[in-house]
Order: sequence, then C-alpha cells, then structure tokens
Amino acid sequence: MDRQTTQILLIEDNPGDADLVRLRLVEGKSPVNVNCVNRLSDGLAALSKQTPAVVLLDLNLPDSHGAETFRRVMEHAPNVPVVVLSGQDDEALAIKAVHQGVQDYLIKGNISSRQLERAIRYAVERQGLLRALDMAQKQQLEFKNQFLSHVSHELRTPLTCIHQYVTLILDGLAGPVVPEQSDHLKTVLRSVNQLHAMIRDLLEATRAESGKMRVEPRCISLRELLQQAVTMLRPTADGKKIGLEVGLDQRLPLVHADPSRVLEVLINLLDNAIKFTPQDGSVVVKACLVEADPGYVFISVSDSGRGIGPEAKAQIFERLYQDPDAIDNSRSGLGLGLFICREIVRLHQGRIWVSSEPGQGSTFTFTLPIYSLAKLLAPVVTHEDRLRPAFVLVRIELAPLSSLPRGNWKDTWRQCLEILRHCVYLDKDLVLPPMGTSATSETLFVVASTDLQGSGAMTMRIREQLERLGNLKGKCMLTVTAVLIELPPHNSGADLEQQVQNVADRVTQMIMTNMERNHLGAGKSTQKSKR
Amino acid sequence: MPRPKILLVDDDPDLLRALRLRLRANNYEVTTASDGYAAIAAAQKERPSLIILDLGLPVGDGFVVLDRLQNSDALAGIPVIVLSARDPQNNEEKALKAGAAAFFQKPADNDELLNVIRVSLGPAAPQPGSAWPS
Repeated sequence: MDRQTTQILLIEDNPGDADLVRLRLVEGKSPVNVNCVNRLSDGLAALSKQTPAVVLLDLNLPDSHGAETFRRVMEHAPNVPVVVLSGQDDEALAIKAVHQGVQDYLIKGNISSRQLERAIRYAVERQGLLRALDMAQKQQLEFKNQFLSHVSHELRTPLTCIHQYVTLILDGLAGPVVPEQSDHLKTVLRSVNQLHAMIRDLLEATRAESGKMRVEPRCISLRELLQQAVTMLRPTADGKKIGLEVGLDQRLPLVHADPSRVLEVLINLLDNAIKFTPQDGSVVVKACLVEADPGYVFISVSDSGRGIGPEAKAQIFERLYQDPDAIDNSRSGLGLGLFICREIVRLHQGRIWVSSEPGQGSTFTFTLPIYSLAKLLAPVVTHEDRLRPAFVLVRIELAPLSSLPRGNWKDTWRQCLEILRHCVYLDKDLVLPPMGTSATSETLFVVASTDLQGSGAMTMRIREQLERLGNLKGKCMLTVTAVLIELPPHNSGADLEQQVQNVADRVTQMIMTNMERNHLGAGKSTQKSKR
Repeated sequence: MPRPKILLVDDDPDLLRALRLRLRANNYEVTTASDGYAAIAAAQKERPSLIILDLGLPVGDGFVVLDRLQNSDALAGIPVIVLSARDPQNNEEKALKAGAAAFFQKPADNDELLNVIRVSLGPAAPQPGSAWPS
C-alpha cells in the first residue's frame, strides 16, 4: 500500500463493533481515513458522493439483511472492492458473498489490525486486476472485430477483379467464347460467388458478435416472403430432384419483422435443408400459430435428410460449426449461417431451435412476434388507467419524383421516418411501423392523442420539419392529412384492455380502407395540400 | 445524338480497364481518373453525364470529391454512383447524404449497375450545369 491515505467506508450498525474495527484500522501501519455509517442507505449515499478504496460491510443492518446487502452495494459501486465483516454464525453467508463477487470476509471478534490491513490491501489489488482483465478482454474483442471488418473489406478488391474479368469474357466482350470455355468460366464464377458469400457472412457474423447488427422491423406478411424464398431456392432443389413445398395456416397475422433479414434466415435454412437432403428427398416450409405461445408465429423448415446427432445439435448454432461429413457446393462454407440466423431471430425477440434424430430428417423452427397494434398503442393511448379523450390518425405520404434511383429513395424515406419520430410526443403519439415489403411510394401513419384542432398544429409541424430537415425539395411529393378516429359509442363501458383493442381495430380498419382506396385511385378524403 | 460520357474514378487500374470495356460495349463514352484531385479536374474538363466513384482514393477520397462536386454550381447536377468495397451499413447513408445518387458495394452485379446508370441518365436527367427538376 502506498503512503497515500486510504479512504475506507465502514457500514456497521453496532457501535461496539464499529469502534473496534476503527481502532484496528488506525493501529495499522498505513494512514487511513474511516467514514463510518450505520445504515445501508447512508452507505450508498456516501458511495455516490465519494469513492472509497474499499467498503467494509456488515451484512445485517437496520435497513437491509444478508445477501441483499452486499448485492446492493456491489450494484451501486461495481468497481469498489467489498470486504464483509461477518459474525461467527454468518460464515456460510459470507462465503456465499465471496462467490458472488465480494473480495474477502473477516469474522468479527477475531480481527487483528494486521489481518484487517492485509485483507484490505489484497481486496484492492484483486479488484484492480479484475478490472484490467475485463478491459483487456473488451479491447481484444474490439480489435478482433475491427480486424475482421478490415480483412473482409480488403478481400473484396481482388474478388471484384476476378468477377469483372470472368464476366467480361463470359459476356463475349473479349471475343468469341467456345462452349467449353464458357463452362469453365461459369465454374470459376460459382466459386467467386461462394467467396463473396463467405465474405458477407464473415462481416455479418462479426457485426452480430459486436452487437452492431441492426434490424428494421416493419409490419409484413409472411406469405409473400415465404413464396419469395421458395422461388429463389427452387432451381437448386430441382437440381437434386427434391420436392419443395409450402404449407401456411389459413389466416396468418402480420408480423413485426425486418423483411430482408427474415428472407436471409429463410434462405439459409432452405439452403441447408436442400444441401443435407439426398436426391429425391423433400423439404417442407410451414408457418402457423401455436396455442401455447399466442404472441408469435412459428415458421419451420423440415427436410428428409440424414438428421443431426445430439453432439452436433448442441453446437450447431455456434460460430464456425460445420458438419464434418457435409459436401459443400452451394453457399458459404464458413459455417456461420446458423449463427447469423440465431442473431437475427434474437434481435426480433424470437427463438430458433432444431429438432432432429439421426436418420429421421431435421426440422428447424423459429418464431417471430405477431404485429399487435394494441400492444404498441397501449402505453400511448392510455393515461393513468384511462383511455385518453380523443385520437387522430395522421397520414404522411411520400411519393418519389421522376425516376430517382432506388438507393436514394430508400435513404430519403428512412430519414423521414427518423424525423417523424422526433416530431411527435413519445408518451402521447405513436409512429406506426412501416407496412409492406417494398417501397415504391411510402405511407406512414401516426396515431396522435389529440383532437382535430390539435391535429392542425401537428400536421403543420410534421410538414415543416420533413420539408426542411428531410431535404425533400425536388426529390419527392409530401402529403400530410389527419382524420379523427371515431370509436364505437359503447367503448367507454368496456374494460381498458378492450378499449385499447377497439382503438387498434378502428385504426387498422381506417388504414386498410385508406390503402385500398389509394390502390383503386378513387376519391379524395379530407382536404389535402400539396407542394 | 452523342453518346453519354461517363467518368470512372478508381485507383485500381484493373477495375478501370474492365469497367471501361463493359461501358463502351453498352454504348457509353468513358473517361477515367485515379485519384480525388484528378477526378475533380476531369469532371470540370470533360463535363460527364454521370460519374462512377470509388471511395478509397488517394489525394482526396470519395467523400472529398462528393463535397467538391456538390459545392460547384456547374458540377452539382451530375449524378454520382458510388462503387466501393466499403460496408454499406456504415457508408451508404453517408454517401447519399453527401449527394450520391446510389451506393453499390463491390463486387456489384453488372446488370443492376447498368440499370441504375440507365435510369440516372434517363430522358429527364439533366445535362451538367442545369438544376434538378423541381
């Protein structure tokens, strides 16, 4: 211990015990400054004001007992070492405390000043080491991910060169090509695509691991996505004469998920299923609701392949896990696919798992949350256990001008969504997640807890912000309208949950009618102002 | 009608050669530059109808070039397609905000790239020097 004065916080309610400890501390060789309090709340307050080098803690205080005491101290000041002062009968508890992160314990009535000094010194040193270790681990992870990012970027340049020249020759731009040459080049191209997939997977997995993967959930229909995935994989399945079928529940609700990510998961699972199923086998995709878990849709991909053994099952979603017997001739061979799928599903608050026995095929299942407008609306349309008095549905339509390239359009409306989120009152208004999978024009909706009069100010504010910050001039046409949400007269009689559901149902109805009307191009509802 | 002129900017000479061949085969006239400074000079001298721009360039990277283009009355109207090895998650938004019309990550699908070029040069597209339609 250095010559500096050690700040010690002593939390002990028994005055006799406190005095003894204080005496022993002062007797010691190094200068100390002891702050003694007799309640946990005072101790926590003292910790907030000034960070001591160590906390000496009695576990039984007037305002806290046992395990709770050290848990709260460590929660409050995770970087300060704690030494528990326990009574003779509390040794078991003290040991438990050490297992949970306390640095040491001493038994009262038996402490010499040398013991105390040593305990404190070791506690401080150990804590320092733990912190250094933690920081080193974080740095390593960060370094590794940056490195992988950099590598995947660098690999793209030579890959692009190969891709460019192979396609140049294949497309006949360097002279005529005989069929045999074309065949060979197509083989090269397949490898190029595989490499490309590997690099993409590498980057995705790295992002997933460092928590940088983003998903943008929308309100989507699974039917479309499943069809899309199946259509994409059908040629591969046909190549092995594998039957590919889709089975959907009659009325599948909309889900709250990122369509491109869900597609990624579907493609991954289907690709694997086809890969591990022999000729003439079958792969079936299903989507359905399950009574036991009402908030989710269950999507499964089953194959008639050779199944997965228990060892593999335990590790199959881990990074870089690869079946040693697999013959890989399609997608990425890095073994990252299922790891990425798991991350994507996790970010959607869903689950993914596999059920399989060797020789009996496999079924991979994942869940996605059902889009429930009522759930999203509840915190916003209620206040102090009652439904707010009035609601308005604001419709914001963005239509791109002329033939703006797709990339620019996606960025424009995404920016608008961000701006919109910032111009509403988060506790009273809800910006609905966008609907549908593609966007040729985009319609956004806001449910606002206000009346028609208040809605006037709101629509003006939204329009002004979007035009100014969204930099829309010359890029797209903006239309902002507001309509009062009329609720059935008996609504106030129902219980709160039902009332919220009624609001949600009415809003859904209004949106559907609105969308249909726009599709058919009929009629103009309330006043519009265009620019 | 004169063939549209495209300015290709990339410090990889192999890529320049391959792309030039492909664009010429699609009836575009092509001029090239290998660094940021040369890119601006070429834009000013050649007044291309479209620019394909890499981000990782010496002597002024792609973003510097985008900035200079946007700040020039004469050049701000030229559509710029960014073609870069960099990760779109971190760079697409930034590039579009800086004035690019589209972002493609290398290796790009040739057909998609040609399509976006065609769309950006469409009949309503401006000639360099005029303002966007409002």
